[in-house]
Amino acid sequence: MTTAAAAPSRRTSFDAGRWRGPLIVAGFLLAAYALMVVSAGAQAQDQFINALTIGAIYALIALGYTMVYGIIELINFAHGEIFMVGSFVSWGLLTSLGFTGAINDPVVLAGVLVLAFIVSMVVMGVVGVVIERVAYRPLRNAPRLAPLITAIGVSFILQNIVFVTISNSIVTVPQVMPNTALTFGPIAIREINLFVIVLALSLMVALQAFVTRTTLGRAMRSTAMDREAAQLMGVDINSTIALTFFIGSALAGAAGVVQGLYFGVTHFQIGFQAGLKAFTAAVLGGIGNTTGAAIGGFVIGFIEVLTSSFGYGRWSDAAVFGTLVLVLIFRPTGILGQQLADRA
Amino acid sequence: MRFTKLAVFGMGAVFAFGACSGAASPGASGGGGGGGIAIKIGIELPMTGGEAPNGVPTANGVQLAIQDIKVPGFTVTINQQDDAVNGKHNANQGAKNMSTLANDSQVVFVVGPYNSSVATAEIPVSNANGLMQCSPANTAVELTKPWGTAKPTDLRKTNPDKITYVRVATTDDNQGAGMADIAYNTIGAKTVYLLDDTQTYGKGLADAFGNTFTKFGGQVLKRDGVSDKTTDFTSYVTTAKGLNPAAVAYGGVTTSGLGLFRKQMAAQGLQTIPFVGGDGVVDGSFATASSFLQIAGDGDTNSYGTVAAIHDIPNAADFASKYKAKFNTDPGSYSAPGYACTQIFLQALKAVGTGVTDLGQLREKIRAYVADPANKYDTVLGTFNFDKDGDTSQHVISYYKYDPAKKDWGYFKQRDFTADPVK
Repeated sequence: MTTAAAAPSRRTSFDAGRWRGPLIVAGFLLAAYALMVVSAGAQAQDQFINALTIGAIYALIALGYTMVYGIIELINFAHGEIFMVGSFVSWGLLTSLGFTGAINDPVVLAGVLVLAFIVSMVVMGVVGVVIERVAYRPLRNAPRLAPLITAIGVSFILQNIVFVTISNSIVTVPQVMPNTALTFGPIAIREINLFVIVLALSLMVALQAFVTRTTLGRAMRSTAMDREAAQLMGVDINSTIALTFFIGSALAGAAGVVQGLYFGVTHFQIGFQAGLKAFTAAVLGGIGNTTGAAIGGFVIGFIEVLTSSFGYGRWSDAAVFGTLVLVLIFRPTGILGQQLADRA
Repeated sequence: MRFTKLAVFGMGAVFAFGACSGAASPGASGGGGGGGIAIKIGIELPMTGGEAPNGVPTANGVQLAIQDIKVPGFTVTINQQDDAVNGKHNANQGAKNMSTLANDSQVVFVVGPYNSSVATAEIPVSNANGLMQCSPANTAVELTKPWGTAKPTDLRKTNPDKITYVRVATTDDNQGAGMADIAYNTIGAKTVYLLDDTQTYGKGLADAFGNTFTKFGGQVLKRDGVSDKTTDFTSYVTTAKGLNPAAVAYGGVTTSGLGLFRKQMAAQGLQTIPFVGGDGVVDGSFATASSFLQIAGDGDTNSYGTVAAIHDIPNAADFASKYKAKFNTDPGSYSAPGYACTQIFLQALKAVGTGVTDLGQLREKIRAYVADPANKYDTVLGTFNFDKDGDTSQHVISYYKYDPAKKDWGYFKQRDFTADPVK
């Protein structure tokens, strides 16, 4: 949330402020690519795309963590399960429509994709709002620990619902996108990877625009900064927080659809691992900061792929969490947190 | 979690009840003097979720043996335990189940577990309680013999010299050798990309594969481990693409992601590179829910697997028809080993059980009989004995290849690794 609050001040400080961020991102990507060339040689490009894709999924989930934390300072441990349930919603939709594999007609495919994303995002958005209403709102003024425990409780409830009613093992999801590779000059990329990356980036841009350019977005930002002052200024706190949960959960729902499309499987326990990684991404980027969460997601994607590319895959989790520890030691508020908090 | 336990408990109760009534009626009609002393055989297997294709056919083998073979003077019923938590085998649950079985004074023998990591947690419990367990499927070497830095005496902490664990499946040094044999000789691969799931079983199997494959003259291009919790194998698949090995070998099981890895290989167009797994992937046909073949989908072609048990059992057709008559389906990979474990128990009971009324004494007598290397067993798997560590003298690995016509694993060869110099 603080990103947005900082945006106007960024415009005033010209040279350094304006270009520093993009330069750092470009530098990071270049360094990552160089490491991939070293470790993977001719496959560097493929590994780069793998990292962007998994990073995009982590980033989509991380956004929900960070938005909720930004507005009510709650670590919503149920958020990973929202992602998981979202993948089951799209599985249910695609299988009940009778799809089993790739759809080759582009018009039908586009229609099915739009439908899958809208249904999953809306359903999960509503689920998020309901969870907030039932499990968090009554505890909004309780000690910090109470809503944290209910969040963990909600997480188990969601797992158990899927476990008991749908399946307790790996479920195969129809991969409706044809497995074709596209080439743009020297770059070859599979359709699904391009789709996931473009979709995630568009959703992030849309979110940023919503938060910075609309009245509702301004209400969210002001609630995040000072709930009481916002209320005095006429912001409806309850509906603003509900809206935050809706958007965050809808993004996790979108990530759930992507999980099914990209990997072709889901499982009632994928939410825990993905949630943990995404939470790490949010903390890494600076919790409460949407741009930070997106950056954190990609950073984790790159760390995972790089460890595997260098042949140290069994150290992958250690590398991810080791990086988190290092970042927190030297920048306790995450990659972007401190800087923006100062400006805000 | 509560739902799970309740469901499992309910299932166990129904199972036990069913077995009980089934065993009681023939005993009464046989005129064995009112059924005799009531004792129990414990079954400790993963029965639910992604593990059901493993545990259920194995437990069925035990049921079938109990029904087939009667020991005069005893009524044998089943105490069924499930070590799957949320659909995946769980070592802690296994240890808990083993305690439950040990505390049931009527339990004098246990068949299980299925997974080596579960056995690691269970052997200390069975050892402390002097309760003999027979695993139909465990293959990790260090459960019975030193392997790397691990020693079996680390598991037998309470009574290091007392054997309470035997197995009818052979060990992963043999199974890994079998996988290497498939890769090098059947496929003709000179180079491999070798992966494991970082678990007890998977890593040991991959180590054994590497040893034998290099002995054959092959080359391991790259060795890595992948967390068993991830669903993203794309970067490993890309690595495989860059290495362009003649085969990919993977130590692990379907629930730790081997099916998914193979599926993602196919998605990147690498299904032409053969895939070799162990008995963790030979877990049912394409139609079996959550099996390797169902998950891997397009990657099924060119997939190979092994089973750490003899395939050409002496009376295979007879066993299969008996099994089918009772359960209305074909036996699983470890149904016959489950049956064999039960036969060993019943032979021991016949030999040492007569006149023993104290159940604690009976438990120890059965343990001592089975642990004695001098005793030979004539089972559905053939004739064998256990060595002083509890390992079977039968070292046969069966080889399987995906059969596109049946959409199932097709057996093609078995090899006896007893005194085989390649491993």
